Amino acid sequence: MAVSDEAPAAEVDFAPEIKPLRRRTLPASFQSRLLGGIGIAILLRILLDSELRLKFLTGASLTQGALVAAIALGVVLTYRGSGVVNFATGATAMYTAYVYTGLRVEGKLFLPPLPNPFAIVEGVAHHLDDKSTLRLPRWPTFIDFGGHLTLVSSLLMALVFCVLFGLVLHGLIFRPLRHAPPLAKVVASVGVLLFLQAVIVRRYGTSARSTYLNVGTPKQLTLPFSIRLTVDQVIVIVMVISITLLLWALFRFTRFGLATRAAAENEKGAMLLGFSPEFLAGTNWVLSTVISGLLGVLVAGNQASVDPVAITLLVIPALSVALVGGLNSFGITTAAAFALAASQALIGFLQNRTWYPKAAGAPIPGVAQLLPFLLIVGVLFLRGKSLPTRGAVASGRLPFATNPSLRSTRVVAPIAVAACAVALMFFATPNGRLAIFTSLIGIVISLSFVVITGYVGQISLAQMMLAGISGFTLSKLTGDGIHLYGHTVIPKIPFPLNALVGALFAMGIGLLVALPALRVRGVNLAIVTFAFAISMNEFLFKNPGVSGGFKGASVKIIGPLDPLKTATVGRGKGANVWFGMFLLVVVVLLCSMIVNLRRSGTGRRLLATRSNERAAAAAGVDVAATKRTAFAIASFVAGLGGALVGFRLGSVNQLYFGDTNSLAVLAFAYLGGIACISGAVTAGMLVPSGIVFTILQTVFKVPSEFTLLLGGLALIVTAIMNPEGIAGGFNAKLRERKRARSGESVVAAHAGGGH
Amino acid sequence: MAALLEIENFYGGYEGVAVVRDLTLSVTAGEVVALLGPNGAGKTTTMLSTSGLLPIIKGDIRVFGETVKKRAPHKIARAGLAHVPEDRSLFFQLTVAENLRLGAAKGSADIAQALHYFPALEPLMGRKAGLLSGGEQQMLAMGRALTTNPKLLIVDEMSLGLAPIIVERLLPVLRTVADKTGAGVLLIEQHVDLALGIADRAYVLSHGDLVLQDDAAHLRANRHLLEASYLGGSSE
Repeated sequence: MAVSDEAPAAEVDFAPEIKPLRRRTLPASFQSRLLGGIGIAILLRILLDSELRLKFLTGASLTQGALVAAIALGVVLTYRGSGVVNFATGATAMYTAYVYTGLRVEGKLFLPPLPNPFAIVEGVAHHLDDKSTLRLPRWPTFIDFGGHLTLVSSLLMALVFCVLFGLVLHGLIFRPLRHAPPLAKVVASVGVLLFLQAVIVRRYGTSARSTYLNVGTPKQLTLPFSIRLTVDQVIVIVMVISITLLLWALFRFTRFGLATRAAAENEKGAMLLGFSPEFLAGTNWVLSTVISGLLGVLVAGNQASVDPVAITLLVIPALSVALVGGLNSFGITTAAAFALAASQALIGFLQNRTWYPKAAGAPIPGVAQLLPFLLIVGVLFLRGKSLPTRGAVASGRLPFATNPSLRSTRVVAPIAVAACAVALMFFATPNGRLAIFTSLIGIVISLSFVVITGYVGQISLAQMMLAGISGFTLSKLTGDGIHLYGHTVIPKIPFPLNALVGALFAMGIGLLVALPALRVRGVNLAIVTFAFAISMNEFLFKNPGVSGGFKGASVKIIGPLDPLKTATVGRGKGANVWFGMFLLVVVVLLCSMIVNLRRSGTGRRLLATRSNERAAAAAGVDVAATKRTAFAIASFVAGLGGALVGFRLGSVNQLYFGDTNSLAVLAFAYLGGIACISGAVTAGMLVPSGIVFTILQTVFKVPSEFTLLLGGLALIVTAIMNPEGIAGGFNAKLRERKRARSGESVVAAHAGGGH
Repeated sequence: MAALLEIENFYGGYEGVAVVRDLTLSVTAGEVVALLGPNGAGKTTTMLSTSGLLPIIKGDIRVFGETVKKRAPHKIARAGLAHVPEDRSLFFQLTVAENLRLGAAKGSADIAQALHYFPALEPLMGRKAGLLSGGEQQMLAMGRALTTNPKLLIVDEMSLGLAPIIVERLLPVLRTVADKTGAGVLLIEQHVDLALGIADRAYVLSHGDLVLQDDAAHLRANRHLLEASYLGGSSE
């Protein structure tokens, strides 16, 4: 018996097509064809001009493209294998390059400084200040092989390291996180990134290291069209292309590839068909670390040096090209990587042309960094839908967004505020007061994450950039106003107002960030916002017209609140108590504002949008407007945070609002608990050079280099053990206890009123 | 003849709380067995434990003579058990053809077999599974299970969300599979009459207890037995 073709299945189980909220003017296929055509035309124009071609296809740009491609392939592999967008792929390549360099140049295999079981003993001993009596065994930092190793053996050992590292990442971190919300996975991978970077900085410092043992003149080859490459460069390029082909074949022709995609989407379904999800995901992790590590080694060797930052941050262009390939296609990913790197090289060349836009006499910076961002936005905007389509994989839940209880707002919060005020006034040393300043500002920035990520579920890595927009605007407003072509656009504005205007500027840019968020969701949004943050940092904050060039961008606050002054109250000199009080007032105001937001109808709309966009739209919530509201509020709060940073430091600089900090603030906000006010407060205490780390440093004498190392480790552990964050986990425990108590009474009532 | 599936004094449930208590059940080759009962009776729990997705609290479940305790679900599946779960567990991002290919160890012959049972899937081969209608998804889930050439097929409420007319066309496929391939079939079904129409025997669970087991033909003839068991009365 067979079910016939005429079965009226389609009619009976009819699924109405959901109409997009906004009609597109052109069909998507036409749009993408048009863009493709323009791309090809530009490519032809470049390739036909011999001068441009030689700057486009240089050895350096092609090897850079190869490395970006390798990192992007790693990203695509882990995404397909386990649904994780791994921000640490670049860091893995960087770390492996260091492992290789250590073996090849010095014959030493360095070990991460953790875990040292003696550290606790040492800390206590330091605290007692009795070093003479304690002779602790030294924890080894290097394994010495006595002299440098050969190329083959050090490469082999580096690859063995990659295999092991892939297994560790899978087994210890991302396997336990497989059912966690995507944000937890992002945060864990950020934790890995920070940890790897911190280990390298701890062992080798931040400056670049030479990777060459004996530098000979590399042999030049002249290829057709007079492109000149060295043999090493050709090897690297050929290797990446063949890896791409192999991966393509693996996923195209084997059941392994198909099963990998299946298991990443529905683990249960894959298991029931006889596939082991653990084996599939683990294999893909190992493949990913080996590919990115191998190319990290080769390209670092090619570029003659390696440093902790450059390769790590290549993950941004890599993520961009991976997105162009839809986190799916290996071929498109690699092609896009080469095209991107070559275009960036070309921009570097075109900078010297007379028509190129200038700022303060020099070519405007950051255009090359703007490129990946524009690429991502273009691709995602064309592909994205205003509502998730039918059959789209639903992203996992986010931490519980508690409505603060009466007890916490009427009892706990006033006590905390009073304690902070008293500590500022009487107990804290000047150093302690500075730590309180930092933590209070950390709370403000974390609050912006509570609104945008906690309440409406949008992962934004641009909050630090928004803070920067406000900070730089403020520096103009406290200086002599904003001028454009000799006209005064905004005059100098007095103290409390200027911070608000700065925050309004951030809000305006924040609404710009919200544009992609209307069509892009989840981890893709995190990538877009991160690329936006980085490109703004390069394009605006490094622009001498904005940053004030050598003079810097100073920010002044009115005299009585000047953080560097000594107040009439408080212990010791400096670190003005009244500035702390001012911060405290701002924090209290913002917290109560956000508590009210959570309790209002708007708050409910935010949460409805977070939990299910389609359901929210069906229930009459304007999803786009809700997202815009959330972005506006969150960017305003972040902007206030940026203004406070400016007041606190007396100036603003692009480093503070840069890439690593953008990742770190999200990470710490998550660590504290991203969906509740108490989480933001916890996060504020945990931020680098905030209260917790200052106590660790001054009381337990933990060296400051360990800050990010411990932070990275804490992130990974928290993401695994406690996906709701520290405060969120605490709240969950409270809820559970309450439920257990009321559950008993319900059972008792049932028993009493039974028939 | 040895039973393909033997469930013996089985206690199963969640976090140590038993939902099903002291269930004994068996399925032999070529036999279609219906597992009936009202909502919350523990039918799905029993199936999840059978395929290793849920740990067993007490008692034992043996598939092809070997216990499923402490065995990974994918190993039990490889031994020849196909489980069509309540949520169907399709891979929405993959096409119909790719979904079928994942089940088929031997390749195109198995897929042709599945398409023979569900010809309506033929024109949909290139479409993503997430875009299928509910009935089509259920056909795909069943078809995918059949491509694995199962020796034992367990199907959890395939009528969920489907119109009765579709169920009338889908259910008899299970009978055909059992007759043709000699596979054992255990199915959970809310459409009692339809299920009894194709089943050899039936078990009725209520609130976690086995309240009735009988030949399907006998139950069809004596509806009051079933009604009594569903309504919580004794079977006498």
